[in-house]
Amino acid sequence: MNEREMLLKKIGTYKFAIVDIDIFLDTHPGDSEMLALRNRYQDEVRPLVEKYEAQYGPLTKHENQKNTWAWVKDPWPWDMEA
Amino acid sequence: MFVYEKQLQYPVKIKNTNPALAKIIITQYGGPDGELGASLRYLSQRFSMPLPELKATLTDIGTEELNHLEMIGSIVYQLTRNLSEEEIKKAGFDAYFVDHTTGVYPAAANGTPFNAFAVAVKGDPITDLHESLAAEQKARTTYDNILRFCDDPDVIDPIRFLRAREVVHYQRFGENLRLLTDKLDSKNFYAFNPSFDRQCFKKK
Repeated sequence: MNEREMLLKKIGTYKFAIVDIDIFLDTHPGDSEMLALRNRYQDEVRPLVEKYEAQYGPLTKHENQKNTWAWVKDPWPWDMEA
Repeated sequence: MFVYEKQLQYPVKIKNTNPALAKIIITQYGGPDGELGASLRYLSQRFSMPLPELKATLTDIGTEELNHLEMIGSIVYQLTRNLSEEEIKKAGFDAYFVDHTTGVYPAAANGTPFNAFAVAVKGDPITDLHESLAAEQKARTTYDNILRFCDDPDVIDPIRFLRAREVVHYQRFGENLRLLTDKLDSKNFYAFNPSFDRQCFKKK
């Protein structure tokens, strides 16, 4: 696994943890401990996403700083190189 | 509204192709208990749900199922890369190949195209939640059956992840059903449709 793949995996791990917390919170909306954990993970993943997008291209279409449309760039998630 | 993120929910990196395995895993793309049916079922059932927790759960789990659909599509795609005609014939992948080449098409393992009967929506939240609970167990059993035929760790790993999610979703739907019945008359939950006969909710 190269550096890009390692960073992407780390981001994916955080995002998945957040998704799992989300569906827990859907049935336990008053659970402050899980809410705090969700906020912590959000804070921790944000700089990783910024670092990834600056180096390798966008994960969502929110950001496009460059003067070409970086969204179209390979790899796409189903590619072996992703 | 949906926003696409350019990343799978769990990585899929399959080094060795295996069209025979792709032929059975495709069933979780477009088969009777597959991820396409799951996502559309929950995203459709949510409209008639009477409680906010239920709307949230069906929206979020329905969305997660779209991630799983994408993972299954990726598994099928990667298992069928760079095949020769001989490999296709030997694996029994030729019947799929003549209709779809190596495109990813929503069908069951036996070749039946995706059927909207998989998207069960009754408009009664007790009925629909039982449907969803059963759907998670049926998908779990399908993944268990797929795992019987897998010996490649690159395939086993994401399939195990997907299997585990079925169990978590089952837990959440169980909580949904409890949240709903807690608000109904415990003498007879089934006398009314809680989406249609709003008077059935307990007076505060």
